[in-house]
Amino acid sequence: MQSLGFFGSFGGVYVPELLVPALEEVESAFLEASQDADFLKEYHHLLKHYAGRPTPLYEAKNLSKRYGARIFLKREDLLHGGAHKTNNAIGQALLAKRMGKTRIIAETGAGQHGVATAMAGALLGIPTEIYMGAVDMERQQPNVFRMKLLGATVHAVEVGSKTLKDAINEAMRDWVSNLQDTYYLLGTAAGPHPYPTLVRFFQQIIGEEAHQQILEQAGRLPDQVVACVGGGSNAIGIFQGFRNSSVQLVGVEPAGLGLETEHHGAVLAKGTPGCLHGMKSLALQDKDGQVRETYSISAGLDYPLVGPEHAHLQNTGEAVYASATDAEALAAFHTLAETEGILPALESCHALAYAQTLAVQGTPEQIILINLSGRGDKDLHQVMAQQEGAPHVHA
Amino acid sequence: MSTLKQAQTQSRYDDLFARLKQEKRHALIPFTLLGWPTPQRCLESVDAFVAGGASALELGLAFSDPVADGPLIQQAGRTVLEAGFDVDQTLGLLKQIRQKYPHIPISLLVYYNLVLVRGIDRFCRDITEAGADGLLIADLPVEGIAEIKPALDQHGLQLTSIISTRTSAERLPKIAAQSGGFLYAVSRLGITGVEERYDQSLGHLLAQARQCSDLPVCVGFGISKREHVETMIRLGADGVIVGSAVMAKIQELGPEDSIEPIQRYLQTLSTPIIP
Repeated sequence: MQSLGFFGSFGGVYVPELLVPALEEVESAFLEASQDADFLKEYHHLLKHYAGRPTPLYEAKNLSKRYGARIFLKREDLLHGGAHKTNNAIGQALLAKRMGKTRIIAETGAGQHGVATAMAGALLGIPTEIYMGAVDMERQQPNVFRMKLLGATVHAVEVGSKTLKDAINEAMRDWVSNLQDTYYLLGTAAGPHPYPTLVRFFQQIIGEEAHQQILEQAGRLPDQVVACVGGGSNAIGIFQGFRNSSVQLVGVEPAGLGLETEHHGAVLAKGTPGCLHGMKSLALQDKDGQVRETYSISAGLDYPLVGPEHAHLQNTGEAVYASATDAEALAAFHTLAETEGILPALESCHALAYAQTLAVQGTPEQIILINLSGRGDKDLHQVMAQQEGAPHVHA
Repeated sequence: MSTLKQAQTQSRYDDLFARLKQEKRHALIPFTLLGWPTPQRCLESVDAFVAGGASALELGLAFSDPVADGPLIQQAGRTVLEAGFDVDQTLGLLKQIRQKYPHIPISLLVYYNLVLVRGIDRFCRDITEAGADGLLIADLPVEGIAEIKPALDQHGLQLTSIISTRTSAERLPKIAAQSGGFLYAVSRLGITGVEERYDQSLGHLLAQARQCSDLPVCVGFGISKREHVETMIRLGADGVIVGSAVMAKIQELGPEDSIEPIQRYLQTLSTPIIP
């Protein structure tokens, strides 16, 4: 490898020996592509004309009134596919094509990354197979159907907790068996080097646009930039536009049924140093290092580790991390729907919910920029179940 | 103490391979998970391994997320963990095996998180005291070995490393230089399991390994029959590791069945091959 991709003491390359040559190949292709004007031109052309960038930055005045601060929403929910995941999927699929790979595999939790990968595979004519936990397939059925419509094969993962971490395990097993022709299109800023760096590269467009847009609209930088954190790709993407400035970077994790319970996915708050999925990071685990099953109303945040750069940013204090419970996220869902006519993804609702806490602590002139990472259509089933009083649980 | 320990542990693998060479025999290294399907049955399996001609043992610590393993070992790990069998109990079982078989080389197969969370030094000390000679860390490539090398050396543990047909000519000597006991060559890309195929360039890999290292090379992944063993020895292997196939046989047995079929099965794989 040309680098081991450490962020402080987190990151690295911790994979079976068989995968190292494949990661070397991805790293080398990425380093070349990221310096290649033609590659970047094609990537930005597709982002603009296929995916619909730039996404708007919207000042949510009704919500601002409700929260008591100036709230701006970076509308990644309006990106083609319905979430920020499209930025990364298009970038990596172009990389796969450049590497001459004839098959793409990916894992997905909420299904948004699976949908984005299936779209990119269809667009570039590369057969795509998606691994998804059986529990996640059950709670995200519309996205499963979308992936199939887009021509992808969806494999149900029936082992372990049947959620995102098991889908990643299966995708890695597939990759190690099919290295010659297969590209593993990882969906979040996690995993072995070069993925955390590579995914950040393809997601930094969110922050670059938001930086420019907020200066145009508000005439100054925001006080805070807030984004939800599961693996952490949308957060790292928007943070990237505001690093080394006065802006406070805030990541919001899923507190599920409460941090005092066992039912949450707040890795940065409650995790301990560990090593899984090819990286050193923080993990929710037991005394021996067996990885725990996590819980969140939002399948996209239901992951027992976090991208290594977030663990590092927390250590250095460059970003701060908070959490919001299922109930707080759901309340934020309804608030945004009623005040602005926008149905946000349950993932993004965690950021929305914590923004209210920040607003309460600040002044009406305070500017909070929230990354609305995805739209909520996929979550209607979950929200309906809550309306009907059915408790949300999964094994 | 550590120097004495080092001398003892190094000699178990060194003695084994020196003896096998003299006798023109190959090494047979069966694998199972410690504590599976139950601690008692696991001890009986090891008895059958030794009686069936095992030259060394490869024993796994159950892990929640074994990314390098196929369905059988994944499920076995889950069974062990669901029974509440933790690392301390696993090391207790290892101690019993070591007491019963003081001379057989034993290596533990682990995932790195178990080492890190216990603490690298404490983990190495504890497994040494329980009787392990060596360690194979499934998800620690050569890039990460420097993190654990001081502890391995201090406790006299040998590190078995994996090599494959995708390992470059530049990487191979680096891996060999950090390894001890033997090199573990995987017969094919992929995960553990009984799938019967091997990479055509395996013979080339074994020849390359010979050129850059004096360590014996044993082949694993997909070895389940006598003919596989013969093929690997013909290609230049010093021995074979048999994991999923032997675990599948153990799984076929009921809880009350005698473990003797495992012994007979291993005997078919361990009989000397006359070149």
